[in-house]
Amino acid sequence: MVSVDQRGPGAPPTPPEPLTRVFSDESVSEAVAQNDLEQIGVRPRLGTYFKELWASRSFIQVLAVSRAESENQNTYLGQIWSLISPIINASVYVLIFGFLLKIGREGIENTIAFIVVGVFMFRFFERSVMAGAHSLNKNMNLVRSVQFPRAVLPIAGVLAELTMLGPALLVMCVISYLSGFLPVAGKVTIDAYWLLLIPAVLLMWMFSTGCAFMVARWVAMTPDLDNLLPHFLRIMMYASGVIFSVDRYLGQFSWGWLMEYQPVAVYLYLVRSSILDEPAYQPDALMWLMGVIWAVLFGVIGFLIFWGGEERYGRD
Amino acid sequence: MTDVDEVDFEIDKDELDDTPVLEVPSDQLSLLVNDLHVSYRVFGAKKVGHGAGREWGVLDRLVRRGARQPPVREVKAVRGITFAAKHGEAIGIIGMNGSGKSTLLRAIAGLIPPAAGTVHVAGNPSLLGVNAVLMKDLTGERNIMIGALALGLTKKQVRERYQEIVDFAEIGDFVNLPMKTYSSGMGARLRFSISASAVPDILMIDEALATGDAAFRAKSKAKMDEVRQSAGTVFLVSHSLATIQSMCTRVLWVHEGRLVMDGDPKQVCVAYRDFVHARTAYKLAAAGKSPGGKKGAGKVTGKSATKR
Repeated sequence: MVSVDQRGPGAPPTPPEPLTRVFSDESVSEAVAQNDLEQIGVRPRLGTYFKELWASRSFIQVLAVSRAESENQNTYLGQIWSLISPIINASVYVLIFGFLLKIGREGIENTIAFIVVGVFMFRFFERSVMAGAHSLNKNMNLVRSVQFPRAVLPIAGVLAELTMLGPALLVMCVISYLSGFLPVAGKVTIDAYWLLLIPAVLLMWMFSTGCAFMVARWVAMTPDLDNLLPHFLRIMMYASGVIFSVDRYLGQFSWGWLMEYQPVAVYLYLVRSSILDEPAYQPDALMWLMGVIWAVLFGVIGFLIFWGGEERYGRD
Repeated sequence: MTDVDEVDFEIDKDELDDTPVLEVPSDQLSLLVNDLHVSYRVFGAKKVGHGAGREWGVLDRLVRRGARQPPVREVKAVRGITFAAKHGEAIGIIGMNGSGKSTLLRAIAGLIPPAAGTVHVAGNPSLLGVNAVLMKDLTGERNIMIGALALGLTKKQVRERYQEIVDFAEIGDFVNLPMKTYSSGMGARLRFSISASAVPDILMIDEALATGDAAFRAKSKAKMDEVRQSAGTVFLVSHSLATIQSMCTRVLWVHEGRLVMDGDPKQVCVAYRDFVHARTAYKLAAAGKSPGGKKGAGKVTGKSATKR
């Protein structure tokens, strides 16, 4: 801070007076009409927005693939980590909840496959939501440099997770199948139902994208939510039966059915019913219906929520 | 860019009311900015003067912990700017550090939403900034793809212009290395080439010409001329008055988020230079040094020492 010396020169030099001028509203609208100008910094109409988004699909694709590639780039093992991490993660849960606490064995024939499928699939959901939450904040430089529909960012973030999920799914299937040969575990057979894994994952992807849209807007507006998100996801993990049977533990309560039909539990059910041979997880039409309903509902509402804040992203 | 110290937090709403209302010149407009205000949310900002300026005792600090400082502060970076630009104009923007030049550019580009006021642009607003910050973990090649697609080119167009972009940036084999290995000059050149790959309606250059050698500057100037000839408008932010004078047809002087001069490059640059010199001399005198401050203020290029 400059202290003004009494004996020094008088007032500090000032620039010329600011040009206080404003165009009148009528002349602006007239000029806009005459020169075919468009206002920017306003939210585009929903139809236009969707069209722009569709036009940027190759941008989304390149962004997602690049993001997936740059993940784990600074390690010696590189991409292999996206396979090793979930395996270690699942092993810990199998060890603790399956063999020490035995919670994962109640009503389940093949605990290993059950927990592995749960952990792998939930990890995808968890990482997608986090990718959505950070999609605007982490890419603020891109947002402030180039004009494009901002919905590109959450979509690309979740798509990157889906690309990384691909190889992980293969590992998941192999582990599940091999675990069937262990004496303590129930058999896992490869049958036509395995094909249902693809639509199940696609529905879950659509649902996760919807969730990513919502948290992307909320975290952009209120960054504090970012700190609550991991805790919320942890609760979701226990409420969705990732490592134990929801039916077995929560089914006894009057509100237990709520837990069974909440979206994440539904998608875990769909994947498990496709791959495993658990008697408690048989392919079920109602569950598939729920899966479609949740995916469409969250996809559409999430998109609308995100679009509602479009003109404000990048403000801070 | 928006240095908290540099920004006046006072809001003088009543000042805005008695402003003369102008008619918009209505021929060949490409950009119309009317009473634009831009503000940032800043988290964890401290009240000015409550920092290292004075020593605070423990008790003092405890008392000061109270609700005096809001956790979120609104920084008004642009406070009411109005102008209209025509096709083919090259407009330079000058002003001291933190006066809101870059923010103004980004708001014009629609990258930062205005808090108040309007921005209208002609046709398809493919506005480009050279600050297109790319992804430093990815190779130059990937960044070219991402940057150009973000600018609205198709994949096919990117593949066609790929070599052109690499040659223009003069980065050679570095294109296959991650961008974090680039020197700042190489990074800036690559960003400029990507931005220039789509001939935009409005090109904005923010301090980019400071990086790069004479040959690159010449190429940049050629690109600017190309944009202007295809009826685009060029904005150039620079601290180098020589650059501004040689490239621009009109200059805006921004001071503390307001427009203080708008007109002929020569006139505005001279006025600005006189102001900066006077300011430097004043600060030196105020600091108790010999009043011969003119010597140190011979050059106004670069980040001038006139800041505080």
